[in-house]
Amino acid sequence: GLLLAALLVSHMLLTKEGVTSMPICPSGSVNCQLSLEELFDRAVKLSHYIHYLSSEMFNEFDERYAQGRGFIAKAVNSCHTASLTTPEDKEQAQQIHHEDLLNLILGVLRSWNDPLVHLASEVQRIKEAPETILWKAVEIEEQNKRLLEGMEKIVGRVHSGEVENEIYTPWDGLPSLQLADEDSRLFAFYNLLHCLRRDSHKIDNYLKVLKCRLIHDNNC
Amino acid sequence: DLLQWPQISKCRSPEMETFSCFWTAGNLYNLTVPRILQLLYKKSNEEDWKECPDYITSGQNSCYFNASYTSVWTPYCVQLASKNEVYDKKCFSVDEIVLPDPPIHLNWTLLNTSQTGIHGDIQVRWDPPPTADVRKGWITLEYELQYKEVNETKWKELKPRLSTMVPLYSLKTARDYEIRIRSRQRTSEKFGEFSEILYVSFSQIGIGCDHCTEEVEFPWFLVVVFGVCGLAVTVISIMLSKQPRLKMLIFPPVPVPKIKGIDPDLLKKGKLDEVNSILACHDNYKTQLYIDDLWVEFIELDIEDPHEKNRASDTDRLLSEDHLKSHSSLGAKDDDSGRASCCEPDIPETDFSASDTCDATSDSDQFKKATEKEEDLLCLDRQDNDESLSSLANIDLQHQHRSTQSENSHLWAPFGESIESPHPSVRTQISNQNSLASTDFYAQVSDITPAGRVVLSPGQKSKLGRAQREGCTEQNFAMDNTYFCEADVKKCIAVTSHEENEPRVQEQGYNEDGYFTTESLTTTVANLGASTAAPPSSEMPVADYTSIHIVQSPQGLVLNATALPVPDKEFNVSCGYVSTDQLNKIMP
Repeated sequence: GLLLAALLVSHMLLTKEGVTSMPICPSGSVNCQLSLEELFDRAVKLSHYIHYLSSEMFNEFDERYAQGRGFIAKAVNSCHTASLTTPEDKEQAQQIHHEDLLNLILGVLRSWNDPLVHLASEVQRIKEAPETILWKAVEIEEQNKRLLEGMEKIVGRVHSGEVENEIYTPWDGLPSLQLADEDSRLFAFYNLLHCLRRDSHKIDNYLKVLKCRLIHDNNC
Repeated sequence: DLLQWPQISKCRSPEMETFSCFWTAGNLYNLTVPRILQLLYKKSNEEDWKECPDYITSGQNSCYFNASYTSVWTPYCVQLASKNEVYDKKCFSVDEIVLPDPPIHLNWTLLNTSQTGIHGDIQVRWDPPPTADVRKGWITLEYELQYKEVNETKWKELKPRLSTMVPLYSLKTARDYEIRIRSRQRTSEKFGEFSEILYVSFSQIGIGCDHCTEEVEFPWFLVVVFGVCGLAVTVISIMLSKQPRLKMLIFPPVPVPKIKGIDPDLLKKGKLDEVNSILACHDNYKTQLYIDDLWVEFIELDIEDPHEKNRASDTDRLLSEDHLKSHSSLGAKDDDSGRASCCEPDIPETDFSASDTCDATSDSDQFKKATEKEEDLLCLDRQDNDESLSSLANIDLQHQHRSTQSENSHLWAPFGESIESPHPSVRTQISNQNSLASTDFYAQVSDITPAGRVVLSPGQKSKLGRAQREGCTEQNFAMDNTYFCEADVKKCIAVTSHEENEPRVQEQGYNEDGYFTTESLTTTVANLGASTAAPPSSEMPVADYTSIHIVQSPQGLVLNATALPVPDKEFNVSCGYVSTDQLNKIMP
């Protein structure tokens, strides 16, 4: 009994992706504030976790449903966030102003709020969907919300002046997830998961660049 | 040869800023000019296929896309074609094909060595690949280190980690090691190429211990073998050991069926009547205390209506089970003495309900084993006779009964006294006994019928007859375990009419051991004029009456062997027990 408990605890500790609940403020302090470094650390951890989950989910879906259907060839479709002009290489990422980049990150996160909710609900309707995919969809949606909150905090700290228009792209892909034709429906899922993996990677990269730039002065 | 089409082998980006594609030409054509094959590419948001901008930088059969041509999260498609024929096509995005270059500048430093100098710890450091821009955070790498001894074949792996330094513990200083490292993008699965091998040699820095003794590996095999042998030896020794406690502790005995209170050996070897008695009575055992109490109770009952009951003889009572049950007093008395005599005294269960079997067998048992109450019971007939025959007052009767039924020793005194006085009663008793009308006497119970009746030993009547007519020469007297009441003896003696009348009226002091007082014994003897000679010699049962040497409760009595046949002595064996002293005085 004791050995089993020890094994369970150690397994939980080992498989944790580093997303642990950290105390926000030292106990007892009234006006406590997290440092920017702390905020960025947490944001980077969250973004890495979300990217890891979405990457795994895509791989599982690909293995389970996409084999032999030729989805890869068609996966040149654009994502709904393509209208947002985000840096496409390192030069562009270095040149963009950090406030703009932060706003872009926020915009992408907001744009993914809606699709993630629907993804979590619609993926359950897939025939014989594995439990791991279902669980990951729910987890990603949750973590995305947390990252959004964190980013808004960071933006509130970093932002110097006026508030820009909110950046946001609506998502209209829900009907495609509910198509009657199974092939088309699965392709819609494949596309969505592919886009999710890509965008989560973007956000993760941008945040790391910003962290190195703002906190460590380009010397990570 | 197999026909091999030209195909794109892989596309790879080392730092997420540029990428290259590589292909194989195949043996389709006898290609002399390598440029015939073209690589065309297209971004997702473009319409036209464009040709590879750089065929040279990455080597032969490759296409290099520099930073200006690279958009990281943009889907690309490339295809290998020649003129009008497309041989292969691939679609990807740059972030998916990141395979970093290997780390550079591997080195190691000694951390510490063990006291014996056999083992040492080192710290391995390296630099990230130069192409990867880690400092600006554009790419995050994790590293995997592998090491092994020089002459080993299998590499040991460490878990991938983000830091560019890692300690290696407990390396053998006598051996040389090889280390290699590879890296990958943190969220990818595939690793890049391995770095160059780093050689670790302790002797180079003067710490190597070439002459150190080889560390002996823990001899697991020997430990297991010796452990098993030792365990086997221990088990065998326990099994063979004579120590019952140890044996019982480790190998507890399997309980065998057992009936409480019955010795299984007895069942195998014991005599039939012993077994019968034990089996019948083993749950009817009463302690001495209980018996005493019960005697008291029954005394009262008897007193209440002494004349009402038809004073049937004991024999009749024995033979008719109704009487046994109705006459609870007698029955109880029978029970008591019977139980006491026949059953194992260590059985705690006491059962006041008399069973016919027990009563019956108890009679037989009481002939065998001596208890205090036996003689009371045995000679109860005499008292009854006295009662019936004599004109004694009720008081006397009461005296007699009380004396009979209560404690042994002190009761006999008044009885003895009472006996002394009514000589005529004795005589009448004798005469009455001689008449054999309804003489109560005691005989051995040889069997119990299923109906519960008692079958006395054969020759019961003949005993009487013989006793009367033939004298006491009968061998019946000599039957084993047969006890005869004093009355019988008297008869025997009277019949023989021995002239010797040694009225050994020895006024012996009241002997507490004896169940008969000396006075009673001697008076009867005197009255009977019993001789000492004849009866003892031939007729006196050899094994019947002896003095009690030791009373061993469960097993019976140890009779005094020396007291047995005393031919010349007036061995006035009564049905009761004679004390040793009395016996000695009687006998030479």
